[in-house]
Amino acid sequence: MSPGFLLTSAFAAASASLVVGARYSRTWLALVVCAAAATLAAAFRVLLGTTDWEWRSNFAIGGEAAHLRLDGVSAVFLVLLCVVAAAGAVYGREYWSDAREPGSAPRGRIAWSAMVLNMGLALLCSNGLHFLVAWELFTLSAYFLIRLDDRRRPARSAAWLYLAASHVASLCLFAFFGVLAARTGSWDLGPMLEHAELAPLFWLVLLGFGVKAGFFPLHVWLPSAHSNAPSHVSGILSGVAIKMGIYGIVRFSGWLVVPPGAGWVVLGLGAGSALVGITFAFAQNDLKRLLAYCSVEHVGVILIGVGGALLAVAHDNAAWGRLALAGALLHVWNHGAFKALLFFCSGSVVHATGTREMSRLGGLWRAMPWTATLFALAAIAVAGLPPLNGFVSEWLLYLGLFDAAALRSAAAWAVLPVAIVLAMAGALALATFVKAGTIVFFGAPRTQVARHAHECGPLMRGPMLVLAGACIALALAPAVLWPALARAVGAWNPAWIGAEPPAALDRLGWTHVVLAGVAVLVALVLVRRVRANGTRRGPTWDCGFAEPTPRMQYTSGAFAGIVGGWSAWLLRTESRYRRPRGAFPARSERVERVPEMVLEHVLAPTGGALVRVALAARKLQHGRLQAYILYLVLGLAGVALIVYFGGAP
Amino acid sequence: MNHALDLLIGLVMGLNLLALGSGRLPSLIRAVSLQGVALGVMPLLMEPEVRWHVALVALATVTGKGLVIPALLRRAMRTANIDREILPFVGFVPSLLLGAGGTIAAMVLAHELPLLPEQTGSLIVPGALASIFTGFLLLIGRSKAIAQVSGYLILENGIYLFGLLLIHAMPLMVEAGILLDLTVGVFIFGIIVDRIQREFDSIDTRKLTTLRE
Amino acid sequence: MNVLLDVLLRAVVWLALAPLLPGIITKTKAWVAGRRGPPVLQLSYDLARLWRKGVVLSTLVSPGFVIGPAVAWVAVFGAALLLPLGALGTGLGFEGDVLLFVYLLALARFCTAWAAMETGSAFEGMGAAREVSYAVLSEAAIIAAVLALCVQSGSTSLVAMLTPAAGAGAVLLAAGLFVVLLAENCRVPFDDPNTHLELTMIHEVMVLDHSGPPLAVILHGASVKLLLFAVFLTEAVLPMGSLTPLAATGALAASVLVVTLATGMTESLLARFAFRRVPLLLTVGFLLCLFALLFAWRGGPA
Repeated sequence: MSPGFLLTSAFAAASASLVVGARYSRTWLALVVCAAAATLAAAFRVLLGTTDWEWRSNFAIGGEAAHLRLDGVSAVFLVLLCVVAAAGAVYGREYWSDAREPGSAPRGRIAWSAMVLNMGLALLCSNGLHFLVAWELFTLSAYFLIRLDDRRRPARSAAWLYLAASHVASLCLFAFFGVLAARTGSWDLGPMLEHAELAPLFWLVLLGFGVKAGFFPLHVWLPSAHSNAPSHVSGILSGVAIKMGIYGIVRFSGWLVVPPGAGWVVLGLGAGSALVGITFAFAQNDLKRLLAYCSVEHVGVILIGVGGALLAVAHDNAAWGRLALAGALLHVWNHGAFKALLFFCSGSVVHATGTREMSRLGGLWRAMPWTATLFALAAIAVAGLPPLNGFVSEWLLYLGLFDAAALRSAAAWAVLPVAIVLAMAGALALATFVKAGTIVFFGAPRTQVARHAHECGPLMRGPMLVLAGACIALALAPAVLWPALARAVGAWNPAWIGAEPPAALDRLGWTHVVLAGVAVLVALVLVRRVRANGTRRGPTWDCGFAEPTPRMQYTSGAFAGIVGGWSAWLLRTESRYRRPRGAFPARSERVERVPEMVLEHVLAPTGGALVRVALAARKLQHGRLQAYILYLVLGLAGVALIVYFGGAP
Repeated sequence: MNHALDLLIGLVMGLNLLALGSGRLPSLIRAVSLQGVALGVMPLLMEPEVRWHVALVALATVTGKGLVIPALLRRAMRTANIDREILPFVGFVPSLLLGAGGTIAAMVLAHELPLLPEQTGSLIVPGALASIFTGFLLLIGRSKAIAQVSGYLILENGIYLFGLLLIHAMPLMVEAGILLDLTVGVFIFGIIVDRIQREFDSIDTRKLTTLRE
Repeated sequence: MNVLLDVLLRAVVWLALAPLLPGIITKTKAWVAGRRGPPVLQLSYDLARLWRKGVVLSTLVSPGFVIGPAVAWVAVFGAALLLPLGALGTGLGFEGDVLLFVYLLALARFCTAWAAMETGSAFEGMGAAREVSYAVLSEAAIIAAVLALCVQSGSTSLVAMLTPAAGAGAVLLAAGLFVVLLAENCRVPFDDPNTHLELTMIHEVMVLDHSGPPLAVILHGASVKLLLFAVFLTEAVLPMGSLTPLAATGALAASVLVVTLATGMTESLLARFAFRRVPLLLTVGFLLCLFALLFAWRGGPA
């Protein structure tokens, strides 16, 4: 079957799901999964084949002929979209079912279909006007998904913040596509490397798509939106929607001439975003907010790869640029898989306990063994540890950076600090996910809700298992994926077509297999030995502490205390502490909150000042005619003075 | 320039960082005095044959910077009963990182400066810049007067290193000027320390803010 | 076949020799203090004894509490097998295995900290928090050191990186890696491996609830890690490539012994640092590695 046929049927199925979604949830699910499967097949046909798929209509939509194009770059993102969209749809059927949420589940399904369809169209559209329409519809449907739970005030305000930020971004994109169309004389998109004068437009691209990608400091909307949306929505937002921003940056940095400093700026933004994002993630006490900030880090990691590739293009170093870009693109897949899995796991926790506050959870593994195991697996992946997929892409990235360093080229000056920052971010990610995983799932339950948790059902578990399988597959057979990545890299920069796989990629895959095998073997031997020697169960020894209570366990705030102290200047944690007083102290408490620094300490004061200035200016307008005439006279006098003094020799 | 000199300047840079990272006054003073000795030896290494006035200058520097001034500081510390812990305004780790960043920046800057060809390969200029930077960092970031005197001494050491560039042209002049400057500086600080001590029973310069009115 | 033999031989060397190092350190400390000290093989005896013992498990822990140490051991051991041992093991390895090396050590840390947190003990939580937080600084130092080796040798494969001499920055690199060795292996002045009930410990406090075979695995893994850092430090500095195979092996063995003795001497002569000084010392280690990197970049003394 040709990609055209597959995509047409997928489009038909997705459109049908939009119509039937409100009433028939079963049919809707089948249609969404079929559409995803058909699109997946088309994307893989393009990725593993040699030719792009292109289609121009002979009729006009909105005054422009439709132009769809599926090449290596868009296919990579389309694959991710299909997998997460289908998994999220299945997951959402139980998580946000009609039975539990009769008010919002139907419109959730419609918004889901609309968002997925428009994301897919945005990936395929090769016409600026149609791209903008699809992009706007995608943004709007995401807004409705975020405020699905609109009885809760935080969800509503998060959605508004998202919409406001998205529109700032849209403004940039309108400007970008408008200027592009005016300069090239057509809305048609494609490689425009002959227009060197369009280079400054890259900054608009970076700003417009950057808000969607959510790198620091444009991430202001991301933590609240991703944490307050229902978890299957958080999964697709973090897994795919922010990658749409990355897609825009990758797409147009490949099609346009970029300004000379672009590589350095993107590399710097990536490194900063990685380190700052993960520092904020580590300090969070809300499980989903932690995951959201972690997405900021991973967007940074991806940008490091893109920035490296741009730098390599500027300095004509194909060898390491390819590796960096391939690492970035693979990380797009990897992050999509494990972050969606993590959000699904957290959704399962929220489903079972009704809270996202880590300090109210604990000991969930007994009630939720599947979720706990899958979360542990995803934690290893997200921390970038071997033998899982997070490591493979970070390894490719590092390899690119190290190769650049080994060449000692001038461009590589940027690479040394970035590699060190990446290592520190990796270590912090490890700390973050040790904290998140163990505080939530291990130790003793801290509250009643944690004690009475229950495991999620098969419809939620199934998609989680699929995503976990994807994580494992991506880790164990990276060499198999190389042709797809090489194709995308070649689509980005035609000069890099036919990139040879790094010889070591195969070795790395085998090492992973051996490592995983040996680890399982040793674990089995040890477990058998422990069984054979006999075990005794008792309370946690804890150096003989007599009466430990669950509340005495290390909390998430305490765990992050050391790093929080180092980065207090950045985090600006607000804490309220009521000490115990007197011989029979009453209730005492300590509440800590990590504000969204850029939003609350930069944007809010700036906005406040603007509003104050505007209010002051409004006093000038009060409807008294005499005063207006006075303004007129004063204005005339001012003009006269300017003319008089300006005109003097 | 020769290898031993560069090694010594490397040592001076290392001691800069040590001074920034040391949490107690005695180790700070030790770093400063070691630096003084290292600087004192340098003129001897720069000349192919040792002339008497250069030797004299070297001897004076080693005794002055390496022995006398540190001894004075130690005595002041003992007689004024100062707590040995340094209280930093700028924490040790940040000041260490800043110092390292400054050292790297000094290296890069010295690379860009239009220097004489025989001095381009040498570490003298970066060493001098780094020491001056370290001195300022200590003056800004530490609260105790003795730590600040040490910062001032390191700053002076940086200027002295610059002076070494001129040693061929007017050796004694440079040395004498520097030493004089230094003596005056230490005197002034000595007087200030004494006054603060008498006034506030402590030499924490933060208390000076009460004089604001 | 040859490769398999090589791997087997090295595995045996790592397995057998690693438990000697803590013994040598203890012996050195005893010698400095004028005592006789336990035999060098004490750790091996302990391991054998622990392997036969029963296990006490907390009622709170999951099977991960036993699996964690096993995976951590495999990770450290895998990292060790990536290192060439003198003339041995130069045939294996691939471009970029140095990153696998660094991240396998991180995997070991993840598993240990995870297992410690499973007990729900505040004490072990504290240890795990310290371990993962300070690792941020030591990770930066290790990557700076690795970058220095990479810049200098122009390769990203451990075997190629470790063959030439470290050049001008060798002293800095050795000092920096030694600081990292002390920090990562819970030696004085970062941590005191002899105490068990100090509030100031990092690594030791994480294994409080382990017993029997899992504890044996943890202790053996720790000794492998110590040997691994000693070997890495030695090979990073010594010009292994310019020696004959026999001489290289001899030099390696002698230098590892020297590093071990130096660790013992450091432990005897230094007191454990106050806790707030630990980041400072780690920063110093990082800066040493960073300056070694800059030296390597400029290709010699400036």
